[in-house]
Amino acid sequence: MNKNSNTYIIIYSTVMVVVVAILLAVAALSLQKRQYQNELNEKKTNILQSLGAADQNFDELMTAYVIENGTKNETPADKVFDMMKTNKDLRDSYAAGKLYLFVAKDGRVVIPIVGAGLWGDIWGYLALEKDMNTVSGIVMAHKGETPGLGAEIATPNHQAKYKGKTIFEGNDFVGITLRKGGAQNPAHEVDAISGGTKTSNGVTNMIKDCLGAYVQVLKAQPDVVEPANPEAKTESETQKVENNE
Amino acid sequence: MSNKNLKYLTGPFSANNPVIVQILGICSALAVTVKLEPAIVMALSVTAVTAFSNLVMSLLRNGIPSRIRIIVQLVVIATLVILVDQVLKAYVYDVSKQLSVYVGLIITNCIVMGRVEAFALGNSPWASFLDGIGNGLGYGLILVIVAFFRELFGSGTLFGFRIIPESWYLAEGGFYSNNGLMLFPPMALIIVGCIIWAHRSKNKDLQEK
Repeated sequence: MNKNSNTYIIIYSTVMVVVVAILLAVAALSLQKRQYQNELNEKKTNILQSLGAADQNFDELMTAYVIENGTKNETPADKVFDMMKTNKDLRDSYAAGKLYLFVAKDGRVVIPIVGAGLWGDIWGYLALEKDMNTVSGIVMAHKGETPGLGAEIATPNHQAKYKGKTIFEGNDFVGITLRKGGAQNPAHEVDAISGGTKTSNGVTNMIKDCLGAYVQVLKAQPDVVEPANPEAKTESETQKVENNE
Repeated sequence: MSNKNLKYLTGPFSANNPVIVQILGICSALAVTVKLEPAIVMALSVTAVTAFSNLVMSLLRNGIPSRIRIIVQLVVIATLVILVDQVLKAYVYDVSKQLSVYVGLIITNCIVMGRVEAFALGNSPWASFLDGIGNGLGYGLILVIVAFFRELFGSGTLFGFRIIPESWYLAEGGFYSNNGLMLFPPMALIIVGCIIWAHRSKNKDLQEK
């Protein structure tokens, strides 16, 4: 048989492609479940990290909610993660006014955020204290920011700077600003990354846009959360009274 | 194992090392050697790909139409790399995230295609398989040596465990600080250079006149 005849080459390459396609399809299908589980675990770990509770059990500690048209429905966490599987999914949800909220047993909340850096997507989770104002922690990741500059947003050193910042000034939402040249207002600003101004602006906008969508939810939140113990309840009630004044 | 086969396996460790003698696969040697763990996973991944691409190509060598030889090689190598990538994502997710694009880039590692083209197409499957393992491990050996120095002096750890005590560091009142340059790719090139230097001064026959 002539191995360089056109017929032989066409048959050979067809058989090869079919064999390879079957092999890859089988491998992808059989590993898919495990890979998805890994991604899910990573998201859960990130949420726990933003709360500073990386050693705890996600399913015991957290309750997930979906907020649509002002109504808040408790939803199984795995289902919520499925709805915000990719950054695009999360972005579409924001655009459609569909919000996701993770509430910890102690009353703190975690909000998934997504935005644009200099080169690509940036995303993460921002945790708020019980007062729905003070940042309890933030975890951020990026697709391809410049190493050593914009990519610094993913380091624990940078993320530690957000802790204790507040997102409301009185009753108005202000967010958190990454200020070039250093923070001026210690309550709402952190130092921008030198050499990473575009990424820093991206983070500022991400926090502003995403948390901005939650303002109504956050203001209503203390009423909705079941307090962990009676003392906490009185505390939150006093707070409410103070706010009303 | 006969002497000849043993030579296929061990030759690439030193005398015919793909990285420091043939200067192939330098790119990934710079990229994945900041820490030991990803370097070892990368070494094993490349070894699996070189071994099995050599084996498959050697088995197919008498039936491949020579006009589409390179295409067939690429399909075989790409398939193996995708399989390795999928397995890493399923079983060692953390490491696969650290290696990111470099697993996919094994396809472009000159060692893989070089061995298929130069060896597997003209030798028996068993010899080709050994040659693939040998070259993969020879590449891995250099990766591990480079990663050892980079992690030790760049982060003060090995496999993530602290080697240089915390109390030595300036922040804790000590005298020591990590060498930040170790974390950047140019330092890997310098270490590879040092290894080549040491290797050639031991092996006089490799020295160019």
